[in-house]
Amino acid sequence: MSIRLEKMSHTYQVGTPLEEVAVKEVSFEIKNQSFTAIVGHTGSGKSTLLQHLNGLLKPTSGYLTINGHKITPETKNKELGDLRQEVGFVFQFPEAQLFEETVLKDIAFAPKNFGKSEAEALEIAREKAKLVKLPEAVLERSPFELSGGQMRRVAIAGILAMSPKILVLDEPTAGLDPVGRFEMMELFKQLHQKEGLTIILVTHQMNDVANYADHVLVMEEGQLIADTTPKELFSDPSWLKAHHLSLPQTTDFAYQLQQRGISFETLPLTEHELARFLAPKLNQRGKIDG
Amino acid sequence: MGKLLLGRYLQGNSFVHRLDPRAKMILCFYFVLIVFLCNNWQTYLLLSATTLLCAVLSKIKLSYFIKGVMPLIWLILFTVLLQVFFTRGGTVYWQFGPLTLTQFGLLNGVFVFCRFVLIIFMSTLLTLTTPPLAIADATESLMAPLKKIKVPVHEISLMLSIALRFVPTLMDETTKIMNAQRSRGVDFSEGSLVKRIKAVIPLLIPLFVSALTRAEDLATAMEARGYRGGEGRTKYRRQIWQLKDTVSLVFFGLVTVGLIFLRN
Repeated sequence: MSIRLEKMSHTYQVGTPLEEVAVKEVSFEIKNQSFTAIVGHTGSGKSTLLQHLNGLLKPTSGYLTINGHKITPETKNKELGDLRQEVGFVFQFPEAQLFEETVLKDIAFAPKNFGKSEAEALEIAREKAKLVKLPEAVLERSPFELSGGQMRRVAIAGILAMSPKILVLDEPTAGLDPVGRFEMMELFKQLHQKEGLTIILVTHQMNDVANYADHVLVMEEGQLIADTTPKELFSDPSWLKAHHLSLPQTTDFAYQLQQRGISFETLPLTEHELARFLAPKLNQRGKIDG
Repeated sequence: MGKLLLGRYLQGNSFVHRLDPRAKMILCFYFVLIVFLCNNWQTYLLLSATTLLCAVLSKIKLSYFIKGVMPLIWLILFTVLLQVFFTRGGTVYWQFGPLTLTQFGLLNGVFVFCRFVLIIFMSTLLTLTTPPLAIADATESLMAPLKKIKVPVHEISLMLSIALRFVPTLMDETTKIMNAQRSRGVDFSEGSLVKRIKAVIPLLIPLFVSALTRAEDLATAMEARGYRGGEGRTKYRRQIWQLKDTVSLVFFGLVTVGLIFLRN
């Protein structure tokens, strides 16, 4: 059930003057039920890489295997079978994909495409609408009447309705307010922990990487430059700086403390970790002063 | 989408690239007119030589022009075959019912083929060497006299600029929505005709909605920046008529004289 890429490359518009290499010989493995974050600059090939994961794009060389499906440059669309259903893909600004007359019908669209009956699909839609915390009252309304945040929820529910085993998220929280962002990320965390989904998240938010991911891939100019854990990645601020990436806020704060003489074994990633480290120190100090 | 070369612009700095877009547009339309002056092989040779000269001056590989012809090749072949088999006169080589293969027919076929290819070459050359916005500006400038008969030239040209500006954006948007719907199980390229037409709905509705939203946002943004219509507006992109533009016009004039002289 894992995902493996083997020296996979993708070139756009092969054989034209506009030829462009977007992904260069990338190899890595994503374990089943892991939470992988992919970070890197705009135009580093992240989105191109993602579109291979459900067969929207095919490699121009190399191959990848997902859940036992092998995709090579020669693979035909028909051979992909259920891959699209197994890999749920939430695009950037997914609200652009809404089109049905009612919210419920839109969520039920994907299960219907994959062979569920009308009644079954609507049942699933109701269930997923609850999961993404859409109020009951909006279900029969047109998706175009909703607020931006609610539209986003409808779109995500529409993907979850396929009951994917792998969930690919391309900046799912872009353009949301802080509360919306937090709720959305908590939802993904819950899906990851309770339902055992493999999650692949593309983001520019280092805080999210630190808080949720257990595996990080760093892309630069179409190449994979790091395949590691968040702990490992954020323990080397100078490397990050050299590749124009930033630290999560907490780690950055801890790093500044470190430069003022407080030594950490490893730089903490979350507020919780940092607090746990600092609290005893403050206590000690309190005793000395007292 | 990747195959259609007509309407694409290739960056460059050749003689043709630097010509005034107005001159290029006039010449392109003029060329389409004078193609119909040709009626024997000498005239076609002259025009082919002219086209080739322009292509060479643009420093664009000849293979791109050939790619530009490819999407229309069936139309061309169909017309050529009609000409070949239904024209009578001269020596008859072969006959079968209404179909005849004659000397004049063959000749006509070749001429029609040349006519098509020349026109496509020239229009491909115009779009390959001129950015879409420059074409829009040139249209406005060339249509300026129509203001006298109350044609809203400024509005038309603004519409044209905006339309051209949004072609790539809408193409991107289309690809994105197609991908999103494909991920939800829509199949755009298979199934019966009815099924395929139905598959277009999840693409078209979001596309319309986003185009309308975009239009509203753009209109507000333009008003916020003080746009109040064409009255009293100045121009930032200027087009300067240079000597080489006049020279090109004169050259085409000479070609026309040559054509009239060679024609029988």
